[in-house]
Parts: sequence; structure tokens; C-alpha cells
Amino acid sequence: MGMYYFHLEDDETIVDSDGTDLVNTAAAREHAAAVARELTAKSTGLLDQKWSGWTMSVHDDSGLELFSLAMSDFGDGNSGK
Amino acid sequence: MGQLRRPILVHTAAQGHRDNRLLAALPPDTLALLDRDLRQVSLGHGAILLEPGDPIEDIYFPQTGLISLLILGRDGGATETATVGREGAVGLHGVLGGRRSFTRATTQIGGRFSTIRAGRFEHIANGSVPVRDLIQRYTEVLLAEAQQIGACNATHDTRARLCRWLLQCADRTGRDELPLIQEFLAQMVGVRRTTVTLLAQSLQVRGLIRYRRGRIVLLDRKGLEECACECYDIMRHEKLGPALGVHV
Repeated sequence: MGMYYFHLEDDETIVDSDGTDLVNTAAAREHAAAVARELTAKSTGLLDQKWSGWTMSVHDDSGLELFSLAMSDFGDGNSGK
Repeated sequence: MGQLRRPILVHTAAQGHRDNRLLAALPPDTLALLDRDLRQVSLGHGAILLEPGDPIEDIYFPQTGLISLLILGRDGGATETATVGREGAVGLHGVLGGRRSFTRATTQIGGRFSTIRAGRFEHIANGSVPVRDLIQRYTEVLLAEAQQIGACNATHDTRARLCRWLLQCADRTGRDELPLIQEFLAQMVGVRRTTVTLLAQSLQVRGLIRYRRGRIVLLDRKGLEECACECYDIMRHEKLGPALGVHV
């Protein structure tokens, strides 16, 4: 088990200040994809920026970046409102 | 000493009961009938008031706290179908006699609640047109709300639903500082905790809220309303009743 942090990065960084305890990096990949789907579903973007500009950057407890995901690979791009 | 203290306690409790808008809407003589049986209780976060299938033995009228009604899944997950604050009550249909709860009712935000035994409330309702009317009108509003939330969950994005939910919590507790456990907040919106953390941080970056674990302060209600889906406006207490042709 270890703590994993899922930050969002564009011109600004949205910090996952809490982190999530997961068994390994494979589980962190699954978690990252699930969170990305939840964020992008029926949504076009965040903080006035399209999802195409956003990346999810996943770090371990030491601050090392393990992998990143393009948020544009998830979601349906529909406006939710 | 006891004789001096007693009237003060009764007075305080009666004032507290009127902090619930359903009770406050009753004619004074009707509320006076209930006053004898209403008790004021303090409940913390996470108190389970009803489980699905439980007989409804007590009715709760939030004064300052908030109750969530949850549908439980076979996987142990829970989905919120309604929140009840000072504008409403939980267990009102218990007065119909022998009714059981369809949902779990749990305190989302701790606080003060007025409570009365369902059997006693039923007895009073049988002899009181205002109380029966109140039950009927509020049940209609709650049904409309559940339908709106169902549509909201299916249609609107997570950020809009989170903003709607925060505004409703503030309205229904009468405070802009909300003691919200993050895991519970994620459950209410139906997403992972990480998703709520990131969305809350994004709202904080925009200056709409101040957020730290376990506590959210609403800083810019107008900004939050712009981020929320239209469901917030539709379900506003002062709008939904009149929209249905009922005045709670």
C-alpha cells in the first residue's frame, strides 16, 4: 500500500492535497482513469479551460511523477448544464 | 431553583421548534398542541435515524442539522435521494400508520432537531386539519425533489451537482460554514473522494469556497449559483412549493 496523489495541470495546478491509499501503481492507474471519467462526464472543461488542455499527473508519496493522463482521452464532451 | 429553570427550558425548546420552517408554518394553537410532545435533541454527524425497512417510530424536524435520505445498493454503496434541513422533516408519512422506511436516514450535518413519536403525531394529525395539510403538502414537495435529483444525477456534470449540493446544504442549515466529512460528500455526489478533492480545490482557486478537510466555507454564493446546475434554483424551498401550487 502507498499514498498516490492525482494532480490536475494546465496553466494552473489543481492539487490533490489528500491523496489516496492504493495497493500499487496499477491500482493508481485504474483510480486515475475512474476519476478522469467522473470529472469529464457531461463536462467540457474546468476553470474556463477545455479538457484538452488538462493533464492528470500522478505522484507517489515522495513526490515522484509516476505517469500522466491526457484528460481529453476521457468523457463525452457534452455540456452538463 | 427547579421552578425557576423549568419555564426557561420550555421557552427555549419552543423557540427551537420554530427554527424548523414546517413547524413554524403551523398556526400557533396547532404548534402549541405539538409543543407538549416535541422534544429537542442534539445529534452528531453520521447518526442513523432509520434503515430501510425500519418501522417509522419517530419524526425528525431539523432545526440546524441536515439529514440525508439514501438508497443502499447491494454492493454497500449509497446514493442520496434527498436532503432534509430546516425546511422539512423525516418520517412524516409515519403518521399514516404502520409505515416503514424505504431509505436510510442519516445525519449529514449534526445539530439540533425537534422530534416527536410518530404515534403521538398521528393522534394529533387526526384531529388537526393544519397538520394533515402540512403532511400532504410537504410529501408532494419531497416527491418533486426526488424526481428532480434523479434527473440531475443522470444529466448534469459532477462540478455543477457539487455546487448545487453545497448551496442546498447552506440554505437548509442556515449557515455558510459546513462541517462536511469528505468521504460523505463524495458519497452524496456519487463520485470518488479524489474527484471531490479536485473539484473543491478548483472552486477554491476561483475564490468560491474555502476548503480544508472536513470543513467548507461558502465565500461567493453568486459565483456558486452560476456554477450550479438549474436544479438548485428549481428546488429552492421558496420556489418549489409555489411551482407545485402548494405552500409549505
